[in-house]
Amino acid sequence: MVDLRPRLAPLLIGLLLTGCAASGNVQDIQPGERPDLETDEAGLWMKMDRAEADMRSSGKVVRDSQLQAYLEGIVCELAPDYCQDIRVYLVRNPGFNASMSPNGAMVVWTGLLLRCENEAQLAFVLGHELAHYIQRHSLKRWRDLRATTSGMAFFQFATAITGFGLVGDLATLGALGGVMAFSRDHEREADRIGLRLAQGAGYSGAEAAKIWDYLQREKDAADDGDGFIFFASHPPSDERRDTLAELATATAGEGRRGAEAFRRLTAGHRLAWLRDELRLRDYARMEVLTAHLLEAGDAPGAVHFLRGELHRLRGEEGDDGKAVAAYYAALKTRQAPAETYRSLGLVLWSMEKPREAQSAFRHYLRRRPKADDRAMVEDYINQLN
Amino acid sequence: MPVPPALKAFALTPSTALRKRIPSARRWAVGLLFGLVLSACAQHPGTVRLDPSAQPMPGAKVLIMQPDVEVSELTVGGLLEPNAAWTAAAESNIDQALERVLAAQGARWVHLNPRGKLIRTPAVSQLVKLHGVVGASILIHDYGVGAPLLNKDGRFDWTLGKDAAILGKAYKADYALFVYFRDSFSSDARVALNVLTALVGAGVRGGQQVGFASLVDLRSGKIVWFNVMARGTGDLREAEAAVDASQVLLAELPF
Repeated sequence: MVDLRPRLAPLLIGLLLTGCAASGNVQDIQPGERPDLETDEAGLWMKMDRAEADMRSSGKVVRDSQLQAYLEGIVCELAPDYCQDIRVYLVRNPGFNASMSPNGAMVVWTGLLLRCENEAQLAFVLGHELAHYIQRHSLKRWRDLRATTSGMAFFQFATAITGFGLVGDLATLGALGGVMAFSRDHEREADRIGLRLAQGAGYSGAEAAKIWDYLQREKDAADDGDGFIFFASHPPSDERRDTLAELATATAGEGRRGAEAFRRLTAGHRLAWLRDELRLRDYARMEVLTAHLLEAGDAPGAVHFLRGELHRLRGEEGDDGKAVAAYYAALKTRQAPAETYRSLGLVLWSMEKPREAQSAFRHYLRRRPKADDRAMVEDYINQLN
Repeated sequence: MPVPPALKAFALTPSTALRKRIPSARRWAVGLLFGLVLSACAQHPGTVRLDPSAQPMPGAKVLIMQPDVEVSELTVGGLLEPNAAWTAAAESNIDQALERVLAAQGARWVHLNPRGKLIRTPAVSQLVKLHGVVGASILIHDYGVGAPLLNKDGRFDWTLGKDAAILGKAYKADYALFVYFRDSFSSDARVALNVLTALVGAGVRGGQQVGFASLVDLRSGKIVWFNVMARGTGDLREAEAAVDASQVLLAELPF
């Protein structure tokens, strides 16, 4: 093998320099603008157009025309010029997340709507996503990733032939950290723009800090201590909350919160969306979430019921009693789902209260005479005789 | 159709396919690499899977589903950057290539209208998605990537179910042909890196052409024929090369 090292060194340095060129000067996308077919941006759009076509026929997309029109309406109010360029997809998924594709497809998880208290908070998050689109953050991130990985590939090669593999690995870590930090800057920028858009549309800026503050509380309580996927590459939410609170006061003005319409359109979904959250089996987080929703006060029947479910399923010391209390609270609202009785029966049974359990099961069958599990519940009642 | 990660396992070439236009200074190294590619990239024999119960239908009419094609540039750091212009060219080349290959095998054909109403109906859009999932399962279980499914008892036995008949009726077709292609080309910098690493005896992957296709009997919904390909040469952006790729992929169609 020819010894290439002396000749390769200048070449490698040259390659490293070109490879590390940053994403360059990327302008904001203009309303109605489409990338030229020959560009890397067109490639990203193509990829996302296809993903979006798949999404359109997905069973996970929530089909609620009123809620859909409501979300699109908020987007158009926030950024009227870009109204025609954005499609909103509400996707049935637990957890707090939203994402923005470079082609204008915005995905909002139902778990996000579940955690917003009012339209102002939602508008801020949607504004944050819009900022990613307008500022072309996906393209910038792609170009940065391309440049960073190029630099890494050559650097690893260079260190491999000179026998310093370890240095190459450390550099890889450093470079990946660089990509991450880049994206955090985008998030800060999106926060700032999101707030500006929301305030521009007349929403209360103070609400923006509130949603991040709530998410921080939920994160602190979480069983696994993990944040949401939304924050995986995001700056810590307490830092963002403080920045937002400062920005909001600096630009003052009261603004509207829009709690009415928001509640009217989302309350009917509470039960289903909360069930999705329960499936994650993160009980500590579920406790914080249900307490948060009870404070807000809408759909209390569903929320108390799910709070009972979390205690019943967790089944630790004292959970039985808490479950029963929550089920009674749910029934008191007269809006509890029929399953409240069935769950109540199960817990009372395990607490060895056969008469009360029987009575709860009978109530269940009275409320839902055609229940799929009627035969099983009748069998429970017989066993308790 | 989802990108099946399993497809990578079919890469039969150990290292590189170089971009067609190579600067002359590096020609000697390219020649060496080309030899390696040629020796390794021959189509693996026996990649076709056939449903033994399927009856040949001479002169059958084939509904060509919208081919799932994507052409990318392999960046120096190993990222695949999708290229919209190349993909558009490849799509139109593949469309025409499929017609030619089918005609040569004595079949009649009709294209699915990608903008028609039918494809947007839930039954048909779900059928296309289902094919993506079933196709990925075949790749995993019938080609030795994952364990074979024991209840198949060694038979090639896959179906999209009776809803496939909806397509057959709408287009008066006997079969549906699903085609999936991914093609990638090394960027200039990637080619340079390949040459450099080859010089010191290390391997860096170059561009790849991979694909799979399946033929669905539209009366029963059964997948009667399936094939995969992976090689380090070819160029779907060129009409003739697209015909060549389609010929390799659609060899031994059961008409």
